[in-house]
Amino acid sequence: MVFSLSSFRYGDSLIILSISLASAFVCEGISWLLIYRTPNYKSLRSTIDRTSKKLETLKTSAPSTKKSKTKKKDRFETSLKESSRDLSFSKFKSGGVVAIVLIIVFGLLNSLFEGKAVAKLPFTPIPFIQKMSHRGLSGDDPTDCAMVFFYFLCSMSIRSNLQKFLGFAPPRGAAGAGLFPVPDTKSS
Amino acid sequence: MKEKSSKSTKSHQQHNGEVPPFSFNKLLDPEASWDKDQLGDVLHWIRQAVALICGLLWGAIPLVGAIWIVLFLLLSSGIVYCYYAIVLKIDEEEYGGHGTLLQEGMFASITLFLLAWILVYSIFHF
Repeated sequence: MVFSLSSFRYGDSLIILSISLASAFVCEGISWLLIYRTPNYKSLRSTIDRTSKKLETLKTSAPSTKKSKTKKKDRFETSLKESSRDLSFSKFKSGGVVAIVLIIVFGLLNSLFEGKAVAKLPFTPIPFIQKMSHRGLSGDDPTDCAMVFFYFLCSMSIRSNLQKFLGFAPPRGAAGAGLFPVPDTKSS
Repeated sequence: MKEKSSKSTKSHQQHNGEVPPFSFNKLLDPEASWDKDQLGDVLHWIRQAVALICGLLWGAIPLVGAIWIVLFLLLSSGIVYCYYAIVLKIDEEEYGGHGTLLQEGMFASITLFLLAWILVYSIFHF
């Protein structure tokens, strides 16, 4: 298979794609083995979903100044924060193993494709991106693409979509799940 | 305004009860009530599909130049917006506003689009 791939000038990109596909499946398999199937994770996950739904309905229902409502809201928020924290702790275990797998795969790809243009960019990236897309390449053609950038694109798109597809994506309700978690100003 | 408010209260009542399970005709049913997660997932997968199609198409033609990234972003955001605002007619305030809805699956779709575009462009035009 490898021989026929090299008939394409940039056949290496297909090799990198298949290696990152395989490593994404291995990483999710490990995470499933170590966390997602454990009862502790499942109960945590359902608490988070339930609490964030209750919090949601509490927030969208008519805002009233009743003391009990604000107290209930605070209780939900603290329980949401606690279970989110426990959730991230439980992910710590497999995080290490997954990181090792990614480092090994990156080292393998690095040794295979160091200093080689593995793809051709159909655009000229901004200098910031060029640092990654032209890393370790000789010459100054900005549309040459190094393994680092291509592997970054592969792992980002494949892993996040695979996690979403398998239902392992972090719950939306989890505190700080958003890109820039807006700190909740505590009402005094 | 009355029709809109009665719709949101109706979908609001169902919001507390169990949200009906996902079914395909629900995708095009403006009357259906949506759970935040379900809607987020649908918008996520729409964005990924648009990213893959645009990536393959841009690479095959080929379209060259960074302007096509901007056009992809406008196109995919336009499709997602038209879907939830016109097809589903949902009240975006209930789901965290346009920002949250349009941000759904954004980063993954950009990387998927770039990957497909670069791959097809490199393999078939060199």
